[in-house]
Amino acid sequence: MSLESQFFLLMKFVIPVYLLAFIIYAVRAFKGPTIADIILAVDCLSFDVAAFMAILAVYFKSVYLVSGAIILALWGYLLDIYIAKHLVSKEVGA
Amino acid sequence: MSVLFYIGALLIVIGALCDFFGALGLLRFPNFYVRLHAATVGIIGGAAVPLFGVALLALGADFLPNRYAIAGASFITGVIVLLASPAGSHALAYAAHRAKLVEWEPKVDHLGEVRESD
Repeated sequence: MSLESQFFLLMKFVIPVYLLAFIIYAVRAFKGPTIADIILAVDCLSFDVAAFMAILAVYFKSVYLVSGAIILALWGYLLDIYIAKHLVSKEVGA
Repeated sequence: MSVLFYIGALLIVIGALCDFFGALGLLRFPNFYVRLHAATVGIIGGAAVPLFGVALLALGADFLPNRYAIAGASFITGVIVLLASPAGSHALAYAAHRAKLVEWEPKVDHLGEVRESD
């Protein structure tokens, strides 16, 4: 059994677990009682989509998916910092 | 080089399990401050660990074109997640405490008792 077919066999078990986790995060993001819960769920969702894109880059044998993952991770951090600044001081500022 | 492939596959499986349990905790835990714990399990265990796993797996996989580029970029993404996510969660918790967003009923509040007796 070659390494490639072993990898595709592994992905048959890993990808449904990731999709289930995305659905549960999305439920919390739609339900969340306060705005901090929504931001936390969207944050988890974006970091996990970044990890999932790195896995898909190996799955589809394409380099370009990983560059999107870096941007997505940085965007999640930026969302946290801006919302926290807005909640503390009621303005976003520079 | 297939040792690196198997170590990476193990890290990806650990990451998928941590991601699922973190998502369950984020759905089921009672308030925001407890949900931060589940979010840490879901981010560090569910995003940083499989990113390092993808880096090792791509280094060991000989069927992959451009494998050094995929390995390096996913390693950099793992380091970014490892540094950025605790800082963002800490800023969000501080902001939720300062803006008094979250209703919470602590079982034990030693600081409140000391302040009342003063």
